[in-house]
Amino acid sequence: MSRGNVDRTLDHAPCCFVTIDDERRILYANATAHTLLGYDAGALEGKSFESLLSLPARIFFQTHLDPMLRLHRRADEIFLLLAKQSGEKAGVLMNASTRVEGEASLIDFVMLEVKERQKYEDELLRARHFADEARATLEQQYLRLSEQSAALEHASRAKSEFLATMSHELRTPLNAIGGYTEILKLGIRGPVNDAQLDDLVRIQKNTLHLLNLINEVLNLSRIESGTVDYDIGVIRPIKLVESVEPLLRPQIDAKGLRLAIDRSVPDETLFARGDEEKMQQVLVNLLSNAMKFTNAGGNITVSFERVPTSSECIRSTDTILIHVRDSGIGIPASRLNAVFDPFVQISSGLTRTHEGAGLGLAISRDLARGMGGDLTATSTLGEGSTFTVALPTA
Amino acid sequence: MATDVLVRHAVTQKGTGTQPMLFLHGFGCDQNMWRFISPAFMDDYRLVLIDHAGCGASDVSVYDAERHASLDAYASDVLEVCAALDLQDVILVGHSVSAMIAVLAANREPERFSRMILIGPSARYIDDGAYVGGFAREDIEGLLETMDRNFIGWANFLAPAIMKNPDRPELGEELTASFCSTDPVVARGFARATFFADNRADLALVRVPSLILQCSDDIIAPLSVGEYLHRELPGSTLRVMNATGHCPHMSAPEETIALMQDYLASPPRT
Repeated sequence: MSRGNVDRTLDHAPCCFVTIDDERRILYANATAHTLLGYDAGALEGKSFESLLSLPARIFFQTHLDPMLRLHRRADEIFLLLAKQSGEKAGVLMNASTRVEGEASLIDFVMLEVKERQKYEDELLRARHFADEARATLEQQYLRLSEQSAALEHASRAKSEFLATMSHELRTPLNAIGGYTEILKLGIRGPVNDAQLDDLVRIQKNTLHLLNLINEVLNLSRIESGTVDYDIGVIRPIKLVESVEPLLRPQIDAKGLRLAIDRSVPDETLFARGDEEKMQQVLVNLLSNAMKFTNAGGNITVSFERVPTSSECIRSTDTILIHVRDSGIGIPASRLNAVFDPFVQISSGLTRTHEGAGLGLAISRDLARGMGGDLTATSTLGEGSTFTVALPTA
Repeated sequence: MATDVLVRHAVTQKGTGTQPMLFLHGFGCDQNMWRFISPAFMDDYRLVLIDHAGCGASDVSVYDAERHASLDAYASDVLEVCAALDLQDVILVGHSVSAMIAVLAANREPERFSRMILIGPSARYIDDGAYVGGFAREDIEGLLETMDRNFIGWANFLAPAIMKNPDRPELGEELTASFCSTDPVVARGFARATFFADNRADLALVRVPSLILQCSDDIIAPLSVGEYLHRELPGSTLRVMNATGHCPHMSAPEETIALMQDYLASPPRT
């Protein structure tokens, strides 16, 4: 191809060709370059290459690109913002390489205007900056949450240690009180009259109540701190209820209550997963509550169901339900959720009508959830309540 | 540990002299930029070259965005290298932002340094009232955007490759193309630390004599900036070069070497 044909080809090329010397002066620029930058034909030759660059591009050229060309002798895919003669900017993607021609060291540039690519990169950059800021925010939040979590863990540990220490400190003198009361009751220190005996029995009852309270508080604390171990296995709910019924029979009979176990659902369809010992504790608590809040002559029924799982707490296709229903005083609808809060006892009067610290239901629900189940309640004021333990099927 | 800091900053040593000459590269580069002038000093000096945190072949994990947001951190790194090598009577050669890093290091341990050679220095790049740094804030934001765009598609800059210099066979060594292979996050952080710095107040505290090499038509450090530095920097000597651009040690190595040798041969200004 003749020199003239080469020049014509370069002039009509859909990209800019520019050659500069070692002083960074333009030796040659094709027609496309002149047109893009808004110069008359031939006006670019002799100008400094940097005069074609926007100010940020000049800084980049002097700090990055020029040193790189001197060392590496080429550069590829560099984005630069050129400055047209009008002052308007044009983004280009540029490749450059150096060559030696006789004594001269030259640099050839090929530049392509990149309007759509620049818009696309604008979006990419915006998205990246947004992601960087979001990540920085998340990292800060994570740090804050970690600190809060550490503080909470520390507080929880401190609470558990305090409770354990206090329970020991409280139990020791209470046991002493109980012991010496028994000595007095037995007449070892001398004869005791009926009135004194009544007093001693009251002292013992209250001592026992305090000891039970301490145990419940400690229990709840251990459950909440996750230090309770669960021995999960297969349990048979009907058998479980039958095993705890004798423990409560004396109180049931003393109050003239009727306790019925509904065996209409076949036992072999009711196998559940749970910790047998802890389930016994839950059932004793629920039945004790039922007895406490049901007037003399009332009814307590324990029934069973197998239903498809609907609870988010239970990971199983089916759920075993154990309902403990009483015909007692009931719970106002507005207080129903609160019954599971620690130290709550629902009472319509100003004085506490029933004994207990109000921890039994809180402990029972925590135990049920610790076994992968749950404990819920429904009630009608004046007619009675139903407490339902849900456990996954085995 | 002493070895750690030398590895972390990719410290290389050459030369058969006893007096140390410590080279600090500028923004956008690494220690390879000294390859055109360092051979001229190898017979007379013990040359020590480092890469700043996150640059070149340094350990990028050493770069701490929060700590290295200030040039003081870079000065601390330099002093740590000096301590590890037990360098005394050091000639500190700093280009561009490393000129100010050199000033900060010399202010903290003036007894360790005998002279400074500051190539294309600027105490502050952004105009401030009557002070002309050369740039407005939006110019620097534009630079950061240019850097961002180039790091998006700049995969070949980050991929190591071996290149030769056929027109300089006397160099006889292969160049690992790690030049400008700075991690984009580091590059952005270094750019911000460089261009938003203001070290004017540090100049009056300098007790080490210095040579200021000022290029003609250097957009990064214009003549007025060099003249300001010479006025404010005690014991400084100003030489305006024929070389243009910001990297005379690369574009005009002979002139740079001559000026440096001339300065080092004469007694320092006090």
